[in-house]
Amino acid sequence: MIPRHEAWLHWLFAGSMVALVALVGLAMWQERERPAQVAQRVIAPLGVVDRCELCHDADQHPGKILDSHPPDRFGCTPCHGGQGYATTRKAAHDRSPDWQQPLKTPSERLVACASCHQGSSPPEQADVAAGRQAFARLGCAGCHPTTGAARPDFAPDLSGLSDQVTPGWLRMWLQTPQKLDPRHRMPTFALQTDQIEALVAMLLERAGPKLLALPAHSGDADRGQQAVAQLRCATCHRIDGRGGNVGPDLSIAGSKLPAAWLYSWLMDARRLRPATPMPKFCIAEEQAIDIVAYIREQCVPDSGTTPWQEREGPVEPALAEKGRQLFGELGCSGCHPLAGKRAEVAGITLDNFGERRVEDLPVPTRGPVAADLAAWVAQKVLKPDAFDRPGQPRTRMPLLPDVSPKLAWQLGLAVASLRAPPPPPWLRQDTPAGPAMPNGKTAEIVERFQCLTCHQLGKAGGEVARVPLTGVGSRLQGPWLERFLQSPVTVRMNQGERMPVFGITAPEAQRLVHWLQSTQADARIEAVQTGQGDAQRGKWLYDKLFCDACHVLGGQGRMEGPNLDDVGQRLQPQYIQAIFELGADVVPEGRHPRVRIEAASARDLTAYLLALPAAATAAQGL
Amino acid sequence: MRAVLSSLVLHVHAPKVRPASLRLRATWALGLISVVLLGLLTMTGIYLMFYYFPHPDAAWRSMKDLAFVVPFGRVTRNLHRWTAHGMVALVTLHMIRVYLTGGYKRPREANWVAGVALGVLTLALSFTGYLLPWDQLAYWAVTVGANMAAAVPWLGQPLRLLLLGDMSVGEAALLRFYVLHCVVLPVAIFGLLAFHLFRVRKDGGLVVGQHAAAQIGTTTESSKLIPAWPHLIYRELVVAGLTTAAFLALALLLDAPLEPQADPTRTPNPAKAPWYFLGIQELAHSSAFWGGVFVPAATVLGLMVLPYLDTSEQGLGLYYPRQRRVAIHIFLAGVAFFVGVTVIGTWFRGPAWQWMWWPY
Repeated sequence: MIPRHEAWLHWLFAGSMVALVALVGLAMWQERERPAQVAQRVIAPLGVVDRCELCHDADQHPGKILDSHPPDRFGCTPCHGGQGYATTRKAAHDRSPDWQQPLKTPSERLVACASCHQGSSPPEQADVAAGRQAFARLGCAGCHPTTGAARPDFAPDLSGLSDQVTPGWLRMWLQTPQKLDPRHRMPTFALQTDQIEALVAMLLERAGPKLLALPAHSGDADRGQQAVAQLRCATCHRIDGRGGNVGPDLSIAGSKLPAAWLYSWLMDARRLRPATPMPKFCIAEEQAIDIVAYIREQCVPDSGTTPWQEREGPVEPALAEKGRQLFGELGCSGCHPLAGKRAEVAGITLDNFGERRVEDLPVPTRGPVAADLAAWVAQKVLKPDAFDRPGQPRTRMPLLPDVSPKLAWQLGLAVASLRAPPPPPWLRQDTPAGPAMPNGKTAEIVERFQCLTCHQLGKAGGEVARVPLTGVGSRLQGPWLERFLQSPVTVRMNQGERMPVFGITAPEAQRLVHWLQSTQADARIEAVQTGQGDAQRGKWLYDKLFCDACHVLGGQGRMEGPNLDDVGQRLQPQYIQAIFELGADVVPEGRHPRVRIEAASARDLTAYLLALPAAATAAQGL
Repeated sequence: MRAVLSSLVLHVHAPKVRPASLRLRATWALGLISVVLLGLLTMTGIYLMFYYFPHPDAAWRSMKDLAFVVPFGRVTRNLHRWTAHGMVALVTLHMIRVYLTGGYKRPREANWVAGVALGVLTLALSFTGYLLPWDQLAYWAVTVGANMAAAVPWLGQPLRLLLLGDMSVGEAALLRFYVLHCVVLPVAIFGLLAFHLFRVRKDGGLVVGQHAAAQIGTTTESSKLIPAWPHLIYRELVVAGLTTAAFLALALLLDAPLEPQADPTRTPNPAKAPWYFLGIQELAHSSAFWGGVFVPAATVLGLMVLPYLDTSEQGLGLYYPRQRRVAIHIFLAGVAFFVGVTVIGTWFRGPAWQWMWWPY
């Protein structure tokens, strides 16, 4: 037996046994947290196992979202975050070393919706949709290469700048573009004076295409002003505070742009800058010279001195090399091609940005630490230099113009919704292909007049014009459209943007109309049944339904909607009837009250509108 | 029953042992603790196998089920994890002890070689088990480990392919590691362990004191021997109880890590091997072949041929005998080197394996 003097061995043995029993007891006590039964939803395609309903009741979920997202198909955690596997409150809700996705913040929940809804956003997702639009409009992909998103194509090629601007203007522009054009979307790079000098030297040394020779005689500014009004330049350009935002503000363009450049530009803008959205107007040399004269003489500052006058001065050509380097470092060519070429990329890719964790991103040196990805992006957009650290290179990210905190957050939602490829549809700048796009000669015409700068076609095109080209073949009558293209009348009186007068010839107009009618049909309109109606009763209905609350007819009514004077010649019968039957869905503006009348009454109204005597504008015999 | 038990025990232990070998400081019970840990690992491992699916789609989910749903699943996995780490550490300490007391020398050369092999098997078991949770930690640690194996000249790529069954860590690798971890390596380690324990008895018990070289059974010796039961066995039971209690306490206090599910498209930076390979990873960082292959291979081979090179028989059974100071200093320098690079690799290497002044 164990000798007496080794009794400590017994104590040790007894102690270890007591400890073991106690520890096993502790383990059993810990087991009390384990549910006796597990209620779980396993959604294999999403890789989700959710045990939330051990405590929560899906039937008590507020709102109607579960009608379209039943828990047995979507589970809980894809929207709410948290650890679905967990069976205890703390483990399910909170962050732990083993689980990095605690319950989502409200904006993370929005991002969760958007991560799946990458196409058109549901109505609750207006913030995400706004952010996605801003992503393209602000040209984020210029610096941040993102799979699926094309580099922005709206910034001009910078070759031949010396034909166009003076060093003083360029210096001021590079400092803060919005001081010269308050609504311009070029961001502000915090440039030092020596950096600006280097860039100016580099930009002004590059020759562009040769300019046309300016005719010897000078034009007439008054005739030029008339021409500008006739051609409706204001649809795209602002002059003295009025006009569109597609092209640059022309208010003081005369003191910036030399006559020779203006003349070459007006005659054929695409020769100077192949990617410009500016259409080629078919105007005579004379008219061009008049417009040049108008811009040079009238579009100048009232005070007579340009804001950039005091910054004029000689350029140091030796700095051009440094400028080239800077141009690359800042990623200018992300947006601005140089002689058609783009090279450097300044920012990180935003692919899978949504799969990052905000804890892994840099912390700002001033300002609060962002709680989620969207807030982080907003912070970065609003204060790019808030993340700079002393001794480290300054951020190259510029300050985007006119971005409110809300828009920045919306942009953050959009960026945070980026997941692993394939790229989401909203990033792709779809160019219509196949039957939607014309080919051959028609394509040349569409290209020359840049129809898609303003009009939508499929998913492509601009939004300046209220009327998309898609479906226009089922809406408008051919002869009217042909006349309109050659000499556009104003249908929507209350709208500032009007179709410019391009000088489209009759054969060109014919060709365009043929293309639109043969390809741009709207099946919903084509399906509408027309028939004989009672025009008399139609007139009674017109008054009874208060159509004049929005439409003008024979000088009577308000100019909310399109003018109806020549509607019988303008619109196809089927389309008129479709408006009554289908309402806002088929109307370009997307806002026409749904007139709840039976089919017979719709036919009567249509008959009345079709029988209308063409009023003055149409009767001018154009 | 008693006969069965005692005959089992007596096949491991001699009926009578030297009193000196019972003293704690003779061995610090390191080998015994290693055996106890192996027993704990076997028991917890079998329990875990009931709930584990060796497939990428299900493996990580099994871990979550163990943590939240399986009765005693969490504590069992914790215990398995911590005892596995503990066994790597204890086996290493055991080897250091045996070296210091000259236990590798005649007549125990063969057992020393078997011991080195057992150490390598322990590392292999731990490494194969490391992959099974199929989380990011597991996936990338094993990817790093397999890439280090690929630096072997000529055989590197085929070796890696043989280990992973694919060009990268995937379902083939998971199944291979599972089979190795649960069948092949346990069978090997138990077989070799039996030999190891058998040789301990055959080679005359432990190396202790001045009489280390003497064989049991000489007349002068046998009069001083004491029976293994209860003196030795009881002590062993005490050590086993204390070890189990200590590791159970650890398992209840500290949860085994489980990172997000393995994602081959997201590489953590830095990707680190299991801690016991971080010294080798640190060396491999300077040179994939010299640091990652040559040094570890030379170390293992060097340890194996050591008893055949160092044949002096002086100073056995003592920790710091005058006759062996040079050998001990060289060995301790080697140990310090490995500990040093492991500490550097563990705490002083950050993203892109850059030096960090603050523990990372």
